[in-house]
This record gives sequence, C-alpha cells and structure tokens, in this order.
Amino acid sequence: MLGLTVALLALAAGAGFAGALSGLGGGAFLVPALVVLIGLPMQAAVGASLLAVVATSAGASVAFVRDGWTNLRVAIVLECATVTGAIGGAWLAGVVSPALLEALFAIVMLQSAYFSMRKRDSDVLPASDPLCARLELGGEFPGDSGEPVRYGVSNLPGGSVIMVLAGVMSGLLGIGSGALKVIAMDQVMGLPLKVSSATSNFMIGVTAGAGALVFLSRGDVVPMVAAPVALGGYCRRDRW
Amino acid sequence: MAAQALSIARTKPIMPVNPEEERILRFWTPVLLRIILITAVVLMAFGTGLALFVARYHIDPSSLRHAVAVQMRPTMVLSESIQGNPNAMATLGLMVLTLVPLVRVAFCFLLFLKERSSIFAAFTAYVLVGLIAGILLGKIG
Repeated sequence: MLGLTVALLALAAGAGFAGALSGLGGGAFLVPALVVLIGLPMQAAVGASLLAVVATSAGASVAFVRDGWTNLRVAIVLECATVTGAIGGAWLAGVVSPALLEALFAIVMLQSAYFSMRKRDSDVLPASDPLCARLELGGEFPGDSGEPVRYGVSNLPGGSVIMVLAGVMSGLLGIGSGALKVIAMDQVMGLPLKVSSATSNFMIGVTAGAGALVFLSRGDVVPMVAAPVALGGYCRRDRW
Repeated sequence: MAAQALSIARTKPIMPVNPEEERILRFWTPVLLRIILITAVVLMAFGTGLALFVARYHIDPSSLRHAVAVQMRPTMVLSESIQGNPNAMATLGLMVLTLVPLVRVAFCFLLFLKERSSIFAAFTAYVLVGLIAGILLGKIG
C-alpha cells in the first residue's frame, strides 16, 4: 500500500501543478489519472478529486479577499447557482453510467481548453445595469497607480445560468470549473479579468465542497485513496 | 435611470470598510479556516500513516475498479477514530476538510448580518442550506 499512497500523493500534487500551468485546473488531470493509472471507478475518482479541489483552494480565497480583488457580493449571489448545480451534478454522478461520465469528461475538457484559450480581459464597465445596481454588485479594485478603479456589473441572469452549468460540471466530473466561471464573469457579466479570477477562486472551494459532501455522505469515497489525494492537493495549495 | 444606477454602483464599495468587518474577514476567518484545515490534514495523515505502518493495510490496485466505500455515520466514524481505526480516522479527516467551505460561507453570513444586508444574508443562507442539503441528498442515494 506504501507504493500506492506515494503514487496518489504525487499524482495529486502533479495534477495541481499541471492544472495551474495549463489554466484547466487540477481536476482535469487528476480524474483521468486516477481512473487510468490507479484503476479507480469513475465515481470514486470524482469524489476524491472534489476533496482535493477543496484542499487546494482553501487558501486562495482568503489571500484574494485580503488583497481587495474578490467581489464578495458577486461571489455569494453566483454561489447560489453553482451550489445548486453542484448538488444536482453530484447526485447525477451516482445515477449515470461510468462510461457516460467518461465521455462527458472528455467533452467538457475540450470545451474548457477552448475557453481557456479564448480568455481575454474585457473593458471595465463604467456602470452596473439596473438589477446589478439595485443589488450593489459593482465595486472597485486596486489600480496600477494605487488609486481604486471602479467597475460595474451586468447580465446577472446570463451569468447565473452559466454558473449552474459550471456547478453541474463540478459535481458530476470532479473539477473546479474555474475556466467556465471566469468566462461567465469576464465575458458575460463584464467584470475585470483579475476580479473574475479572484472571485472564481473564492467560489471554487464552495462549489467543490457542495459536491464533495454528496459523495462523502453517499459513501462514494474510498478513504485510503481520497485522503492521500487530498493531502497531495493540500501540499500544492495556494499560499495564505 | 442609468445615472442613478451609476451613482449607486459608485457609492457602495464591495470590500468591507468598518473595523468589525475587517476583524471578521481579515483576522478570524483565516485563523479558523487554518485550524480546521490543519486538523483535517493531521487526521488524514495520521490515518494514512496508521494504515501503512501499524495496521499494515494491503490494498490490491486491481480490486479498486470495483471498490465500493462503506457509508459510515459521523458518530460511528468518531468512535472508531478514537479506537484507532485508520480508515475511520482518514474519513474523519475528510469530513473535517468539508467544513472549510461551510465555515467560509458561515462567516460571510455573519458579515452580511452585521452589515444589515438582509438580501445578501438570505443569499448566503441559501448557499449554507444548499451545502447541508448535499449531505441529506447523499444519504438518500
């Protein structure tokens, strides 16, 4: 078992590193590695990966909130959508066949790679649309000169629909869905790219946590596999 | 209408500005999250270490393809952990790990309550209820 444990630790840390380099996130590499290299059932691999995402993302959000980049209000509103999607996705993962899950995983990874390549900074919106203004979702971030730069937010319904999808993907496939979350905030809702990335990092742990709770309480987690995987994720966590 | 929207967006910064919010967000949140995360890591590492070097578990990688984890009640996990069951200890560590997002959202809930922002407190409460509903949904199957 020592060899297996060391392999799981290394796979989780390596997947996190590859995920950060590619912009796809660690789950994109970890789930296939657990299924193909370790021989884990797809459902158990997804559960272990979600727990690793929780461990990896634990520090990032706190650092970004401290630095003033995370839009806490936008994060909380959109988390209503991602958590709903993640719970639905995690429930579906226990129902659909492993072969279908594997096929879905491949399709979603291709789509994530496409979105990652298309990621670009949009212009800062000077004002929020009426709904976002009513919810006071606009904010400010530290500019290059130190002066705060104000920005607006728009199209909350459109962003929320994509966030439900991001949540379903996270719960169903064991990924953080960070690329899709950033696209929704940056391209659909008009938030600045760095604010979108920081807010997405804050949200990833909560979305993955929602899915992980379903897997853990359903018993779709093999503790002696998931624990080393989560420890590997923790070793690669973003510093606090 | 647009001018009014612009003025609202500009008058309310999203980052906490009063000392109470600062204290919750910048001090207590990281401290508590660190304690939970380190507790989870210690439990997982101890459980895995016990399985490797004391109980000398043997996991046949070829059997993992058909592995089905046993659903354990939290009280059973706790009592088995105290008795030194490596599997239960690792499971307890994983359970504690899932508290990280729960506590983070709970802190946001407190923050919005302090801010007297009832709509955002309601959004946060929905997220909290959603996370707890996930546990119940998993139990149903």
